[in-house]
Amino acid sequence: MNAWIYEKRRLLLGVAAVILFFLVWEVIFSGLVKLNPLFMSKPSLIWSGFMYDLKSGKVLFELMVSVRPFLFGFIAAVVVGIVVGTFMGWRQKVGYALDPLMTALYASPLVAVAPLVIIIFGVGVPGKTFLIFVLSVFPFIFNTYAGVKAVDQLLVNVVRSMGGNDKDIYFKVIVPSVLPYIIAGGRYAIGRALVGILVGEFYAASAGIGYMIAFYGDMYAIDRMFAYILIMMVIAVAFTEGIRWAERAAFPWRVGM
Amino acid sequence: MATSTVEPSTYIAPPPAEETYYEAHEPTILGGGFILAVFAVWELYPAIFGLSKGMKLFFATPSDIIAALYSLLILNEKLPMVGTIWQHFNASTGTFLFGLGLSIIVALPLGVVLGRSQTVDAMFDPFITAFNATPRLVFLPIVLIWFGVGFWTVIAIVFLGAVFPLLINTYAGVKNADKLLINVVRSFGANEWQINKLVVLPNSLPFIIAGLRLAIGRAILGVVVAEFFGGTEFGLGVIMVQASQSYRVDILFAVLIIFMVVSLLITAAVKQIENRLSRWRPAKIKTF
Repeated sequence: MNAWIYEKRRLLLGVAAVILFFLVWEVIFSGLVKLNPLFMSKPSLIWSGFMYDLKSGKVLFELMVSVRPFLFGFIAAVVVGIVVGTFMGWRQKVGYALDPLMTALYASPLVAVAPLVIIIFGVGVPGKTFLIFVLSVFPFIFNTYAGVKAVDQLLVNVVRSMGGNDKDIYFKVIVPSVLPYIIAGGRYAIGRALVGILVGEFYAASAGIGYMIAFYGDMYAIDRMFAYILIMMVIAVAFTEGIRWAERAAFPWRVGM
Repeated sequence: MATSTVEPSTYIAPPPAEETYYEAHEPTILGGGFILAVFAVWELYPAIFGLSKGMKLFFATPSDIIAALYSLLILNEKLPMVGTIWQHFNASTGTFLFGLGLSIIVALPLGVVLGRSQTVDAMFDPFITAFNATPRLVFLPIVLIWFGVGFWTVIAIVFLGAVFPLLINTYAGVKNADKLLINVVRSFGANEWQINKLVVLPNSLPFIIAGLRLAIGRAILGVVVAEFFGGTEFGLGVIMVQASQSYRVDILFAVLIIFMVVSLLITAAVKQIENRLSRWRPAKIKTF
């Protein structure tokens, strides 16, 4: 038992800290400090607000509104990013030609184009999709580029010497060595895509998780605003930690890239 | 005399460099050329193919943008909204520096504590993971309620964006400090403060600088986005929103270019410092 506690010490401490955090939060506003519901909320109120919206189906509806542009934009970013990145790594001249422009775009605060994107594409799915695409395509481009450049030529030659054909080279060497890079890129891209959807929905929208956060904020319904903020946090953590876990499980030799 | 008798025939000159100018500078030429080509197409497209009436509203050619930059930055003309661009620039710079400074003040001590104490680290870890994974923008509405419309909201968003990369990198750097060195210093009778000063901080400096580079990027992003929604009167983000609402795409792009140039310059400068500080290290420092 003691050994088990020692082994899981980190996890137990973390869980305990989270529980303690919510407990203290609840206790402080249940007696010590008078709760001003226009300014602050407490976990029990947030929970009941969340359950209220969950039962009426609102949570699911808003989630679906946000998921559609997210999927479209993200899938477009994966496809375009991998194709452009592969070309850049595969043909040296293409790499030379595109690298400076892409670096400048990647390093600049592209979210600043949001107002322009919204006046061009409008408030609905296309505007958000484009915003998410623009923000999340660059990690895929650069990581695929780096991955293709890092393919070990020796391995290609070995497979060829052993009588492997192009298909073998492709599936036994290139894909396994580039894939970890792409997935690591996906981890960065998720965060940027979430920024994209939030900006799109804060700035101009009529539904969606981000819109609900802003809307309940404007309504001073702090409990439900917190509920949607927590939903967003859970989604973000699930995505990034899920990808991290997948990386460790699928490519244990590449941990920490 | 003796020197002049060396037979020239015994000396074989190395073959002349066969690399042409183009080959030596291929990346620069291709990269620069591509950017120029993009601008050329962008500039000439409306002149050759023409634009529909609707598209004209959303379109500004590079020459329009350069003209806007010139009149705003050099001639210091008044914007169609309010004030001159430099007033907005200074407002944004102020919030940027203030928010970044605040995050440095908070992140460095906290990062050292987390890196040195396993218990505190284990307790803070879930919160840091959660906040780092979530776009900090999500807190904008609540920050608006707590801090009110204006300056402090923008500061809070900039702070929230910049503090986590700094915290995580400081923490990683502190954890990475050489245990042997710490034990040596401790054997010589150093206390916790002296251990931190002599071993831990110098060791984690490259990590901290790398974190700073990330934090600067996040802080700039924070300034832009917070000014979109934060309701301040001055700021480059404010200008961008107003320019897009009044269809002044040239001003919008001009401000975007100012942001790009500033963030590229600052990032490059910090990268230089980073390279200089980690020059003595044998292995490449892994940054977050």
